[in-house]
Amino acid sequence: MLFLLIAVISLILQLFLPWWIIAPIAFGLAAWKASSGKNAFGSAFFAIFLIWIVAGLIHTIPNENILANRVGTMLNLPENSINWTIVLLLTGIIGGLASGFSALAGFFAKEAIGAKAEIKKL
Amino acid sequence: MKIVKAVLSGFFALVLVIVLNTKFGDIPPLAKFLDPFQGFWKNAEGKKQNPEKELNIEGLNGPVEIRFDDQMIPHIFADNNHDLYFAQGYITAKDRLWQMDFQTRFASGRLSEVVGPKALELDRYQRRMGMTFGAENMVKAMMDDPEIKITMDAYTAGVNAYIHSLKPGDYPFEFKLLNYAPEDWQPLNSALLLKLMSATLAGGSNEFYMNNILNKYGPEITKNLFPDYPFREDPIIPVGTKWDFDPIKVPEVPELSPSNKTAYTIKTREIEEGIGSNNWAVGGQKSASGFPILANDPHLDLTLPSIWYQIQLASSDMNSCGVSIPGAPGIIIGFNQDVAWGVTNVGADVLDWYNIKFKDESKKEYWYNNKWNPVKLRIETIKVTGGTTLTDTVMYTHHGPVVYTSQQRPDNFSKINNIPTGHALRWVAHDGSNDTRTFYMLNRAKNYADYRKALTYYSAPAQNFIFASAENDIAITPNGYLPLKWRGQGKFLLDGTDPANDWQGRIPAEQNPTVKNPSRNFVSSANQFPNDPSYPYYINWEYSGYERSHRINKRLSVMTQANIDSLQNLQNDNYSILAENIMPTLISLVDPDNLNASEREGFNIVNKWNKFFDAGEIGASIFELWHKNLAIQIWQDDFGDPKTPMRFPSRDRNVEMLLNEPDAVWYDNIKTAKKETRSDVVNAAFKFAIDSLQRKYGPIDKDWAWGNLKHTNVPHLAKIAGFGSKFLNNGGSKTSVNAVSESNGPSWRMIVALGKNVKAYGVFPGGESGNPGSHYYDDMVDTWSEGKLNELVFLKTKDEKSERIISTWKFSKK
Repeated sequence: MLFLLIAVISLILQLFLPWWIIAPIAFGLAAWKASSGKNAFGSAFFAIFLIWIVAGLIHTIPNENILANRVGTMLNLPENSINWTIVLLLTGIIGGLASGFSALAGFFAKEAIGAKAEIKKL
Repeated sequence: MKIVKAVLSGFFALVLVIVLNTKFGDIPPLAKFLDPFQGFWKNAEGKKQNPEKELNIEGLNGPVEIRFDDQMIPHIFADNNHDLYFAQGYITAKDRLWQMDFQTRFASGRLSEVVGPKALELDRYQRRMGMTFGAENMVKAMMDDPEIKITMDAYTAGVNAYIHSLKPGDYPFEFKLLNYAPEDWQPLNSALLLKLMSATLAGGSNEFYMNNILNKYGPEITKNLFPDYPFREDPIIPVGTKWDFDPIKVPEVPELSPSNKTAYTIKTREIEEGIGSNNWAVGGQKSASGFPILANDPHLDLTLPSIWYQIQLASSDMNSCGVSIPGAPGIIIGFNQDVAWGVTNVGADVLDWYNIKFKDESKKEYWYNNKWNPVKLRIETIKVTGGTTLTDTVMYTHHGPVVYTSQQRPDNFSKINNIPTGHALRWVAHDGSNDTRTFYMLNRAKNYADYRKALTYYSAPAQNFIFASAENDIAITPNGYLPLKWRGQGKFLLDGTDPANDWQGRIPAEQNPTVKNPSRNFVSSANQFPNDPSYPYYINWEYSGYERSHRINKRLSVMTQANIDSLQNLQNDNYSILAENIMPTLISLVDPDNLNASEREGFNIVNKWNKFFDAGEIGASIFELWHKNLAIQIWQDDFGDPKTPMRFPSRDRNVEMLLNEPDAVWYDNIKTAKKETRSDVVNAAFKFAIDSLQRKYGPIDKDWAWGNLKHTNVPHLAKIAGFGSKFLNNGGSKTSVNAVSESNGPSWRMIVALGKNVKAYGVFPGGESGNPGSHYYDDMVDTWSEGKLNELVFLKTKDEKSERIISTWKFSKK
């Protein structure tokens, strides 16, 4: 559920807004829906990993990977026709990490506020 | 505990996001760059183009139609010139915006703003050389001409209309990599790009070397080794052509006096020998069709995105096709229904250094014409990434800027070490000029008279303008602002206090060397001497070697029934006249008994070599290293002292000595006790050639082939790895008509057959798009490397049917 929410909302908002919008989305949704730290990080990481890789594929396949292969060479990968896959993987991981850690922070924030609320109750 | 966890993880996430959105040194902001929604992936274009597109654009007066052919070359049809140049600006920006921005920044010394402090000294250098000063003067001259003002303003508005249509996700790839945004275009930027051509083609000088040589060896040896006319020459204007004018008075030669007797420990940017451009036109008497055919291949340092942008421009008063400079309106080399034209570099001496005598340390006044004159100051403000701003003060005399005084000269910057301290620069590129008008008129020219009229407006860099018309005229004119000088003026450093050393105006434009319909039925140029010594004026004392021009002239004189194929064959000619001239002598001097096994094998190969620098020739590799090392063996000991930088005598002088002066003193290496002879140095250089090939490639095999040694490739403009071309295995050499070297060569090859229906062919080593994520970024590279040409689409009317048109864009006014 959390995975799907992050993926769909990030996908829509990324069409208009800069990439870092994925951070507050993951933070907010994880605070609201995450069941554990693992669940927060995992859902957010894979949600963005997936949509970034799919979005990358949509651009790179009609392009026959010309640009991504060039970027691979620029990043010191060996010059060949498959190093675009590594660039794509890197893209997914970078996006996933930004999203995952934001979600984790969101979950911990909720935990902290929840704990504070419990202390008050006592 | 939970609060600590929350704060720490929140802090970590925030820092991570900021780090991934920030540029560190050369590393782009990672997540911003990799983001597939707005980052680089978005620049990956599919091959398929929309067959139709309609756009409403503010700033147009009427509709414009742009038809793209199968190489995505635009053919623009507008009702008036404003809309035409507006659309040219818009479409050029669509394909080449980053290149336009980057080259403008390079020219004006504004790279530090985007790449940081590492470009600071380069920026300072460009500013101190007066690039922006010259461009500002050019803008004034252009804006005084109403038609050119309309052209410049419309082009600028078109570029800006495109820029304003972009969101950050649409920015060209390199903007994302370097993390900056395009800024508004202005006419000054176009002027800077034109001035950059002057910097490339007329921005070198030899006078420091020459001064040091004169000081060390005296006038007699200097004159002997550095003569004012070469041993072998085949000038552009055929020997015997009558100069059909009354020359104006040429200034007297003052007493030979280098401005300063001390040796300069500086290196100048030496004049690039043999940039390698060719052009020729054969008359109707020589062609199969009975109409002239014109060919041109201007040579430059090759880059991706390509130097040239191919385009067809049609409006109410013109319909012209060819290549343009991305960032400047009009067509530079091309043709229309009636005429064709092209250019090669002249290499006139239009850059001189004047020694400045300041009154005192404050350097507020300088001595000239027997009085003290005020120095004008120009303050340059340089912004650097990160918000720092630096200012730099440049002193201007009436000659031009004092590029470096001793206090202003930093160490450890090779380009800057090249400037003579305390000297003012007089350079034609600083003058206001309206060169754009020349191309504006050539684009619309109908005949020879129009061509001659157009040329009078051209200033710099001086070019050999070749011309052919459907009226069966052919002509060539080494043309530009050629300063009126005394013979030899500017061969050495000049004394800046004496008005006799100033440029005395110019050679009248109509008296620039020219020839129309010569009896040999062809005209040609290959950067050689424009004229033989009978021409009344002095233009320069040294040009590119005569080899390419001689080969062209030899082949054209025997050519009959010329057609596209025969001229294309000549453009791709890899034969070396240099090898023809010196090989017999070199071979005869090699002592075969004194060679080891691989040297003997190499000797047999080079001996049998056919003198063509073809890609597969091993003999060509051996010869190239052999004759190059030979020059070093002969001259290094005499002219290679790093404390007193000098240059070697020319290749032409070297050949003359090898052939005709077997006992010259220069063969002896003064650093050894032994007295070396001609045969000693020839043998030593041969052994060196074999040895260095062996060390590089092992025993003799196909790795020794010329194409592999030369290793041609087309690098990216900012030298980004992966964004240039692959290795291109092709032939050619500096002394062949096909003058291809590692990353310098024909930046555009064109052949135009005039007649009732003009037909043209062309190719450049790149592609129309400047986007490395486009299929059209480098789609012409292989065609170019193989020496083939594409037939150019030239639409006579907007509605002409052509199977090669793949997409049509319709602009309408908003």
